Amino acid sequence: MRRVRLFGLVSIVVLAVLASAVAQDEPKENSKTEKLPDDVRSQLTEDLKPLIEQEVERRLKTALEALRTQPDAQGKPQDPATQAQLEELNRKIDQVIEAQKKVRPGEFNPAIGLVGETVFSYRSRGSSETGSDRPGGFDIWQRSVELNIAAAVDPFFRGYAVINASADPVTGEAALGVEEASLVSTALPWNLTLQAGRFFAEFGRLANIHDHELPFVNRPLALDQYIGGESRTDGLQLNWLVPVDHYISVTAGLGDGLGGDTGPNAVGDKRGFSELNFWTRISTYFDLADDWQFETGLSGFINPRSNGRADLSPDTVQADGSTITETRRGLVDLDFKFSYVPLQNNQFTGLTWGTEILYSHNHYLIDPDGSLAPVNGGASSGDELSIRRGALGLYSYITYKWDRQWSGGVLVDHVEAADDRHDITSAYSAYVTWATSHWNQIRLQFTHTEHNPLSGFKDDKAVYVQWAWIIGAHSHGWAQR
Amino acid sequence: MKTLMKWTAPIAFSLAAAFLCAADPAAKDEIRVVTTLTDLADFARAVGGNYVTVRSLATGIEDTHGVPMKPSFVPTLNRADLMILIGFDCEHAFLPALLEASKNPNIQYGRPGYVDCAKGITPAEIPKSTDHSEGDVHPYGNPHYMLDPVRARQAIGTITEALIAKAPEYEADFKKNRDAYLAKLDSKITEWQEKLKPLKGAAFVSYHGHWFYFAERFGMVYYGTIELKPGIDPTTRHIESLISSMKADHVPVVVREPQFPEKVPALIAEQTGAKLIKLPIMPGGVPHTETYIEMMDYIVKSFVEAVPKK
Repeated sequence: MRRVRLFGLVSIVVLAVLASAVAQDEPKENSKTEKLPDDVRSQLTEDLKPLIEQEVERRLKTALEALRTQPDAQGKPQDPATQAQLEELNRKIDQVIEAQKKVRPGEFNPAIGLVGETVFSYRSRGSSETGSDRPGGFDIWQRSVELNIAAAVDPFFRGYAVINASADPVTGEAALGVEEASLVSTALPWNLTLQAGRFFAEFGRLANIHDHELPFVNRPLALDQYIGGESRTDGLQLNWLVPVDHYISVTAGLGDGLGGDTGPNAVGDKRGFSELNFWTRISTYFDLADDWQFETGLSGFINPRSNGRADLSPDTVQADGSTITETRRGLVDLDFKFSYVPLQNNQFTGLTWGTEILYSHNHYLIDPDGSLAPVNGGASSGDELSIRRGALGLYSYITYKWDRQWSGGVLVDHVEAADDRHDITSAYSAYVTWATSHWNQIRLQFTHTEHNPLSGFKDDKAVYVQWAWIIGAHSHGWAQR
Repeated sequence: MKTLMKWTAPIAFSLAAAFLCAADPAAKDEIRVVTTLTDLADFARAVGGNYVTVRSLATGIEDTHGVPMKPSFVPTLNRADLMILIGFDCEHAFLPALLEASKNPNIQYGRPGYVDCAKGITPAEIPKSTDHSEGDVHPYGNPHYMLDPVRARQAIGTITEALIAKAPEYEADFKKNRDAYLAKLDSKITEWQEKLKPLKGAAFVSYHGHWFYFAERFGMVYYGTIELKPGIDPTTRHIESLISSMKADHVPVVVREPQFPEKVPALIAEQTGAKLIKLPIMPGGVPHTETYIEMMDYIVKSFVEAVPKK
């Protein structure tokens, strides 16, 4: 279009110059015969002006139409030299566009993004009555400030890291921690992907995503108690996409632990192979209809010799003087997600029903007199008792999206303590989420928690307002789908 | 040892069965093409003819930026020879994760099987900033160039090149198919231009910024979008302002793409007296628009019927 305009301008200038030249030349030629009076000449020029303009306009229109009705120069026979020049020009334009893509504004190499998450809450009970590590009453908690960094390491691997600074519940000071720092293969054959480093192991469905990506404010109780919150590990994981027409994904991994809050198991000064943690998962998916999806997975975990973790070790003497030591840790997890994702307007409406059922099966060493406790000498007195404990935990939620910005749902939590299945905690939540954009959302949640008298904890009512936001690069990852 | 032997046979059998399935004998020598959107699938079928099997991730009714990430796409992508996409970050919300899950190195970014049809397209509306205060902007420019049939010709050329690179032995057939299709398309372009000639200068609004290239090609005026910014719902103030300016400038048409709710476009049409029309943004978006040419026919016809005669 610019070229046409330029052509028009040039044409007008050329015609004007020509007209002027003719006007200047004519008197010279006619001077020998008859000289036109100035007023007549001027009048003639004025009369010709619209005609000239009309002619210019007509020619411009013709040229423009020719250009417009000529859909593509490539399809028309052209002079080979012109064709070569055009191709050269196209190549150069492509190179410029490609160069732009490499340094697009707002994205760096590595891609960097930051996630902030603040939780405002009011809880009806104090922390001593609920067992929470956050105070009761009014609380404002900068739960996370996550720095996400990702880039290709080389043609065969990509790397990413998630550095989190969360506020200490007591001091309020930001504690910096590496949540993830991992290498992922991108070019292994046979549909394999290898991951190594610190990462969230693929176990279950909601244990391997970050807090701010959850459909509700807090991680379900069963995941908190059995896994330890996020399925963080320092380890190695291999995923295989089974090469068949149906989607089947198989994962297996090993690491020094499983669970961001619980950390690795105690191993003393030398770790045996059976003291590592092993997990596996198989998942599949079915298109029930164009708009209806069903996804399910089965996960298994075992730590053959866990040697005590956290307060399940001889380090923690119970109120009655005994100690409980976890000696073996095992988990089975069945999860499914049933979703309505309308093809046409899934940005504006949708429904998700997700459920995860976990069965914990651990071995414990009970020491009634607590002689195994370091404070009591740490020696066996012969009264120790080995027991096995099974416990069930589950959560189920339904989220309905009725607008691009609005969604809401309910969550039901039920968990039996891993070392005592009679110690049951149940909770019921309702939540509404307002997402002003992809990068900014506020969630209001009410949670009523019922405690079994066995734990000594009391019923609790809590209101949460969670505000999560993202700046910089953010990915729509496979795990968050 | 006996136990080991007992389990080895079934495991080996299962693995062998899995790898045999991977061979997919049904596929034979056909080039397996996956496209993100249906217009690309239509072109790939037209050019590839009997040498290709084509599957589009979208069915036509989806938002071009919001095709659901179904795991059932993964095995298809895993075996694809070519992944054809619109580019300009149009598919950024779903394609990168699907490509990663596909574990198919041949169709990853930068590989020969990754066919970006934005190649050779001169983008318009390149944002000066990708700051999110401007909404979900596309850093490389407006990606909805397929609604300009002349730019679509360029995409057909890119697809042809990719098919030839994959199967040079069929080059003559691919070029023959391409030329036949382009001849048909050229004739339609002339027809569409004739039909839309009386609409030159006619203004319209739409929900999302799909129509810049279309308006530019056919000399219409793309007045604005109902969305406040790309991917950001309109505020009341924005709607009021749009209604007020549309009334002042006598904008005669409101376009609603099927992916967006009718409520606000209908309100704006009612308040301004403009005609509300529902237009597809890719083949299959509304009934009887299964091919690109059928879709463009439908769009042109709808505009001609909607814009009042001068």
